Amino acid sequence: MKKLTTVMLAAAMLGATMVGCSNGGDKESSGGNAGSTPSVGVAIYKFDDTFMTGVRNSIEKNASGIAKVDIVDSQNSQPTQNDKIDLFITKKTNALIVNPVDRTAAGVIIDKAQAKDTPVVFLNREPLPEDMKKWDKVYYVGAKAEESGTLSGQIVVDYWKAHPEADKNGDGVLQYVMLKGEPGHQDAELRTQYSIQAIEDAGIKVEKVAEDTAMWDRVKGQEKMAAFLAANGDKIEAVLANNDDMALGAIEALKAAGYFTGDKYMPVVGVDATAPALQALEQGTMLGTVLNDAENQGKAAVTLASLLAKGEAISKDSVGFDITDNQYVWIPYQKVTKENAADFK
Amino acid sequence: MNTKKLQGFVTENAIYIVLAVLLIGIAVYEPSFIGLNTLRDILIQSSTRVIIALGVAFILITGGTDLSAGRMVGLTAVVSASMLQEADYARRFFPNLPELPLFVPVLIAIAVGLVFGLINGVIVSKFKVPPFIATLGTMVAIYGINSLYFDTEPNQSQPIGGLRGDFTTLGSGALFKNWEFSIPYIVIIAIVVCAIVWVMFNKTRLGKNMYAIGGNQQAAKVSGINVSKNLILIYSIAGALYGLAGVLEAARTGGATNNYGNMYELDAIAACVVGGVSTTGGIGTVPGIMAGVLIFTVINYGLTFVGVGPYWQQIIKGAIIVAAVAFDMRKYASKK
Repeated sequence: MKKLTTVMLAAAMLGATMVGCSNGGDKESSGGNAGSTPSVGVAIYKFDDTFMTGVRNSIEKNASGIAKVDIVDSQNSQPTQNDKIDLFITKKTNALIVNPVDRTAAGVIIDKAQAKDTPVVFLNREPLPEDMKKWDKVYYVGAKAEESGTLSGQIVVDYWKAHPEADKNGDGVLQYVMLKGEPGHQDAELRTQYSIQAIEDAGIKVEKVAEDTAMWDRVKGQEKMAAFLAANGDKIEAVLANNDDMALGAIEALKAAGYFTGDKYMPVVGVDATAPALQALEQGTMLGTVLNDAENQGKAAVTLASLLAKGEAISKDSVGFDITDNQYVWIPYQKVTKENAADFK
Repeated sequence: MNTKKLQGFVTENAIYIVLAVLLIGIAVYEPSFIGLNTLRDILIQSSTRVIIALGVAFILITGGTDLSAGRMVGLTAVVSASMLQEADYARRFFPNLPELPLFVPVLIAIAVGLVFGLINGVIVSKFKVPPFIATLGTMVAIYGINSLYFDTEPNQSQPIGGLRGDFTTLGSGALFKNWEFSIPYIVIIAIVVCAIVWVMFNKTRLGKNMYAIGGNQQAAKVSGINVSKNLILIYSIAGALYGLAGVLEAARTGGATNNYGNMYELDAIAACVVGGVSTTGGIGTVPGIMAGVLIFTVINYGLTFVGVGPYWQQIIKGAIIVAAVAFDMRKYASKK
């Protein structure tokens, strides 16, 4: 009997949420599109990712005056992200910015959004082309991963050409080691491939002394570099890392082996331009890094979302960034070296 | 007399009252929360969670615990998705697999869950490994197996996408789709599962044995219950439920990776505990578990709805877990 009352009570409580549906349903949610600032729901793949935190801060900053943003954490779980998106759609949010956990899940998200005519801007993880083609109110803002590889390779090229002594054994061939990110990760594969291609394209012969994964991790970068040094010693003429954390780890190992004192030097390049990397650039231990431009990614995404929510025309003039193939905004990477490091602090 | 009655009512129904207070509080703060669409969202988001929580509840009631639940969800999500991709999708997991009837991969995935549940049951009952350790081991191993499967040629650890329309409909479709009162299939599935489990708990010998084993395993043994047979059966049923939940997670999101289901076991255990399932075994009801799951969904959904930051949500969730159990302990203490 008691059990029954409890169930009834629970049902009644849930029922209570339904009762008001008739008046709740008619009302436009706050921030409707009649000239006022539109509401934009933002789902980030996870809040504790350093790069995406930069993008998140930029979205918040650049939203002022053009959109009312509500930013949520998908906790690195696609089901959680879908839940958050359902919530935004139910709240009649005017536009969405989605940084997918899993790029293949974009198709389902687009279907949900299209059913309620809510435009979507995907951010940083590119949906599959066939999903992008489903609807014309779907946009993508991001960087071309291969470009980060190309630019880091070019930094090595610039150094090699300016410093003949960089060719330690004088054989005219660049002996390098590669510290890779997580195997199979798109960025890791592309950065590895395109950094070397950039060096080869500049007419420099290369020889891979060693290559291993350090899982984007500073500690592992240090351990692998120590092992490379132990195995190959002075044979190594350059260190390429898929990100700054691994590059900084490698620098620690190099310091332990006596590098960066006197004239013992090793060019080390990373990607990301993190704060510790900028410091290393100024100290002269890191040769260069490549910036994935969080500021402009956030700015482009929130500007696009605001315009889409208001139903305004999307063009280079209105967004402030080039639109490629009607749906893509590519934010270029930037080379960062000791000379311009201060600009990125 | 009257105040005592009221006090008794409050202690007996604490979780339902918490749920009601949460709902009312959120609705007062943000009136647009009241509506059919939010109700539907909350029920959809509770669906897979309640199925997992019921699986975990089976085991908690026997006095055990199951840490492998989340990884089993991940494995079965990947298994079902790998066999349900569109024929013309560029990156198929099995490039030459013919289009199977929907129920075949679904049943295979549920069977995979059942087999791993069975393994848990055998380790616990035959090898006498404490459930916490046994399922900790299988949790780690199942993730390894899943990653290995996920990494096979030609997939090589790429997210599995391009799932068939009939499969994703299972997760995101609804009965009377264009009607205001449309009922999502996933909610119907969850309700059917709840009903079946309710019958198992209350009307079958297995249910009675489950409560008896959890209440006092020695006494259950002495009174003629085949404890190991029942435990193996219970762990297998739980595994099958995780299998079903994995299938639904893949269908709902239109994809799967080996990271699916990560930490779901903790959400499920928390929901059970808040819903009145005793972690020492022997106690737990299906409506209680349903309310426990709803409380967490309402927190997740409702607090995001009103714009409470994610870090505050974590703090509130943690506080509710501890408060619920502390309250529950008082209830049983006062009974003694």
